[in-house]
Amino acid sequence: MNSQAILVFSEDADLLKELVSGAKQGTKAQDWRIAAVGVGKEASALANLGEDVLYQVDVDVHNPELLTAALEAAARKVEPSIVLVGATKLGLEVAPRIAERLAAGYAAWATGFEVASGTEGAKVMAQSMIFAGVGIATHTFKAGPVVLSVARGIFDSRQVDGKQAEVVVLDTPLPAPKLTIHGYRPKAMNGGRLAQARFVVDVGQGVKERDDLQITQALANLLDGQLSCSRPMSADRDWFPEWVGLSGAKIKPELCVTVGVSGAVQHIIGIRDSHLIVAVNMDEGAPIFSQADYGVVADLYEFLPLLIERISARGIRPAWAT
Amino acid sequence: MRILALIKYSMDVAEVKVDPATKELRLAGVPEKIGAIDKNVAEAAVQLKEANGAALQALCLGPLAATDSFKDVLAMGLDEVFLVEDPFAGAADGRVAACILEAAIRKLGQFDLILCGFASDDGYSYQVAPRLAERLGLPLVSYGRQLKVSDGQLEAERDLEDGLQAVSVSLPALASIAEEAYPPRRTTLMEAIKAKKKPVNVWHVEPDLGLVRNELEKLSSIESSSQVGVMIQRKQRMLKTATLRESADQLIDLLLEEKVLKGGSK
Repeated sequence: MNSQAILVFSEDADLLKELVSGAKQGTKAQDWRIAAVGVGKEASALANLGEDVLYQVDVDVHNPELLTAALEAAARKVEPSIVLVGATKLGLEVAPRIAERLAAGYAAWATGFEVASGTEGAKVMAQSMIFAGVGIATHTFKAGPVVLSVARGIFDSRQVDGKQAEVVVLDTPLPAPKLTIHGYRPKAMNGGRLAQARFVVDVGQGVKERDDLQITQALANLLDGQLSCSRPMSADRDWFPEWVGLSGAKIKPELCVTVGVSGAVQHIIGIRDSHLIVAVNMDEGAPIFSQADYGVVADLYEFLPLLIERISARGIRPAWAT
Repeated sequence: MRILALIKYSMDVAEVKVDPATKELRLAGVPEKIGAIDKNVAEAAVQLKEANGAALQALCLGPLAATDSFKDVLAMGLDEVFLVEDPFAGAADGRVAACILEAAIRKLGQFDLILCGFASDDGYSYQVAPRLAERLGLPLVSYGRQLKVSDGQLEAERDLEDGLQAVSVSLPALASIAEEAYPPRRTTLMEAIKAKKKPVNVWHVEPDLGLVRNELEKLSSIESSSQVGVMIQRKQRMLKTATLRESADQLIDLLLEEKVLKGGSK
């Protein structure tokens, strides 16, 4: 192993594009080869992201064992110094598995990397978020391959060039998976475009009943915004799948009003790029207040109706409204 | 049936402060406890024990200071805890940690089901379950909810970004518990008293697990590491007014000054 090559995989086409772009930018001085892994019969559509070669594997994208095996097969061919894996739930399972199989170094939640040529082959340094985003570590890895998982939005997905990659069908026989999949029940998605929203009402566990989302939605509607939520709400209560956080969406609105959000670190990382953060919470000691520009200690059921009433009565609009 | 719950003694990362001058992370004195994610693991394990009848042991890789922190999970229904003193004080590479856990699991013998969290509260790097699946050659149900054991099978739902995937695997198996999937029960005073009699066994990698610290160090793929804190500059201004209506007006005024809102009159 340890050639001047990067192997890139994500089942999410947008994230894959970001990873190819990041791979290109991180190695352009050395002109490394970039190999991507695309899954499914339609994968050849991914041959224009800027990679040099696309390995097409036709496996069930929902089975982590099969994807691990496919990625391992591609890695055995490419012998990459770096494997970039999109940090989705699937990727976060596949990446450590690959690291074990390749006896490779691994950093989760990578935010960047550098490569340098050394006598023992390429030397990899990588930055990654640690302690759920409280800090950033810089690791210098020993010689040998390194696997990095990278979340959405870390690398920009600038189109590298219009070149068409060579498409190689990877038909290595894969072992029968031990996991049997019986069915899939999609979560109801609201279809909100959180990443682009300029105003977001971020709802936390302080909102008790599903019907109470009406009041937060009313505030969002009033200022032409979107609702988002902290992850326990979406994972546990099944109302609200589009959560914001370390492994979820990251938002960067002009204004983020958190309502009943306690301020868990894993969630804060999803909102901390907001221009302004307002926190409304009953608990004066809630950690969210140290992450906010303006804090109001109040029962959201009392405060939000008043805020809505005052915004309406005063004829207030978002600054970007036409 | 034998169930093993992997639980972690974790740092409360919300309490980690960043030195504004040096950007250094202030880790000294940050409180540590059994993680919230790991309490969900304990609850899942206890529910499966109740439903199927099982011996339920727990394994923790952590500092000796963790010894007194297991009261709650023992009161919840774990039978016994094995604490492996972490020779690297939490700084080990994921591969090294997985290697130590693997050795401890093999020493404890054959389990039907091993449960762990999808991540730990402090490291939050999602590594232990997939690494152990690879090392132990076990099927893994990751991000599991609604776990059920019957006829030598584990059935569960995997909690994914946009849906729930119904899956099954044959036992023995490994499952990682999804976030908030098993809110931990409240325990009674009687359970707490009984828990005091339950054993907490301490193992050391040398000699109990037959591992050598220097050899473990060689397994680490990281040559050196440094860390800095992420600085967040926020105004942190609390609105204090006599009435909430005044707070609403004051907030609107501030947001007008910040130029994220416009228009209106008083």
